[in-house]
Amino acid sequence: MHWMIYAGVAIVLWGVNGLFMKLGTNRVSARSMVIWVTAGFVVLLPWMWKLTTLQGLSSRVIFVGLLAGAVNGLGNWAVFACLEKGAKASVAIPLTALYPLCTVALATVFLNERPTKLQWIGIVLAVAAGAMLSYEPAPAAPKEQVSCAP
Amino acid sequence: MQTDHGRLPIWLWYAFLCIFWWGLWGFLSKIGSGTANPLQMQILFTLGMLPVAIGMLLHMRGRLDRERIGVSYGFLCGIATGLGTLGYFAALRTQDASVVTPLTGVFPILTVALAFVVLRERLNKVQMGGMLLALASIVILST
Repeated sequence: MHWMIYAGVAIVLWGVNGLFMKLGTNRVSARSMVIWVTAGFVVLLPWMWKLTTLQGLSSRVIFVGLLAGAVNGLGNWAVFACLEKGAKASVAIPLTALYPLCTVALATVFLNERPTKLQWIGIVLAVAAGAMLSYEPAPAAPKEQVSCAP
Repeated sequence: MQTDHGRLPIWLWYAFLCIFWWGLWGFLSKIGSGTANPLQMQILFTLGMLPVAIGMLLHMRGRLDRERIGVSYGFLCGIATGLGTLGYFAALRTQDASVVTPLTGVFPILTVALAFVVLRERLNKVQMGGMLLALASIVILST
């Protein structure tokens, strides 16, 4: 199959997932969502085991991978809590998709990677996007009632 | 930004927290992917999520929400994310990450469109501009 079809499948499933996240948090708590989402991941585990094994991986890589999974789970909880606390899916999903900004920052600090000029543009755009996406004008204060009473 | 007596809304703090955790996930993935293939990483991610899920369950003292439709959405979230990731990896087998990653990074457009139709959510003009900037940023930072 052409790679574009696979990429399209990823876009559709991840995009639909954003909707499911909001619909789910409308009905169950963020912490429960983390558990049920993890169950959904675990269902795919036997299939993935058939395609590959963990043989040959160093204990360091295994530790890093497991740690990455744990922080991913915490990120899932945070996005569910964000939706649970009233964020719109159409704001929360594009906003949290800006996480590569944090990855670039961490790689700069800890791996001594230097952002390219293009990445600097991406960083500036991400910060501006974050501020704009989270902009919701405060509801207008109720007008003072004009009283006809003397 | 909407403020409540000058403070940021609580949901925004959770969004920042999510950006931090997922950003750290991306950073750790970067370290691990030097020697492990994407599928091996996905297996490790799934196994790594288990202690978090168990921790949440213990924290809730076993009082897990079992509302049928909500549970179905949660379960579908896991399957959709997992299968989407496998699709992403499959695309990577024949195309460079510098092409596939920015392309698949535009998935929030679909979420916004679905939220518009299904949830009747409406973005204001500033947020709409922010979404476009976010997409540009995601594409740039994914390359």
